[in-house]
Amino acid sequence: MATATYPPPPPFYRLYKDYAQDPQSAPEPPPPIEGTYICFGGSYTTSDVLPSLEEQGVRQLYSKGPNIDFKKELRSLNGELQLHILELADILIERPSQYARRVEEISTVFKNLHHLLNSLRPHQARATLIHILELQIQRRKQAVEDVKRRREEARRLLNESLATLGGQ
Amino acid sequence: MDIISQLQEQVNSIANLALNTIGTLQRDAPPNRLSPNYPEPPAHPTEDGANFSEEPKLMSASLVKAAKQFDVLVASLPISETGEEAQIKRIAELQAENDAVGQELQKQLEAAEMELNQVQELYRQATDNCLNLKKPDVN
Repeated sequence: MATATYPPPPPFYRLYKDYAQDPQSAPEPPPPIEGTYICFGGSYTTSDVLPSLEEQGVRQLYSKGPNIDFKKELRSLNGELQLHILELADILIERPSQYARRVEEISTVFKNLHHLLNSLRPHQARATLIHILELQIQRRKQAVEDVKRRREEARRLLNESLATLGGQ
Repeated sequence: MDIISQLQEQVNSIANLALNTIGTLQRDAPPNRLSPNYPEPPAHPTEDGANFSEEPKLMSASLVKAAKQFDVLVASLPISETGEEAQIKRIAELQAENDAVGQELQKQLEAAEMELNQVQELYRQATDNCLNLKKPDVN
């Protein structure tokens, strides 16, 4: 891969010289990338899945399982956090040199909290999608009703005018 | 801001409050007497005064208030225990219904378009007839 300070644009534009006359003479756009790709020297991945806590090396404090009761777990984590802060204050009074473990426990609680909140995001995305679809269905039904009503009205007007002309 | 972002902001603010609380207390606490052998540590009346005993109360009050606010936000989460599969099923149902309604809308639109064309054609014929009737007068 050649690198330069001000690289020229890629020379693909020459292939599209006759695109207006013959759209088939130019190459198709490249297919969507799958897997990992490199962009400006950094590698990115196309699958945006949230890595679990164990992969990040953090102990998981809330219960695992297929369906997690988010509200209960968030509340219990909040209580544990307050408890740990209190423990830190106590240990600073009595044995100040042993603060490191308490601080580490507090940071674990915070990481668990944030991981729980991040794992709520896919649920939120699906709920947003459901909401948008419902709105769209409602709008389409409204449009169908409107079109039907207008057609009926137009037909009625035509019949009226026909009757008027016929009576003349 | 949506509820999850608010919850995340609240977690961060609790972290900041805890940091400030512990940090200020640790930095500003007056020295303590370690053992009866050593004399009393000299007091610093200039910095502390009456403020120092109030600060822990204020800071811990704001910390507890932030925690309570977090609980309130958690309670207002609109989560029903539907689970992922139920949501996906509902999305598939809605998509099917959306397609059906869309097709009906398309049909209605096409029929209305056809009727519009017919009416326009009739109107054109009528105006042509009118013009033809009027022609001898114009000339």
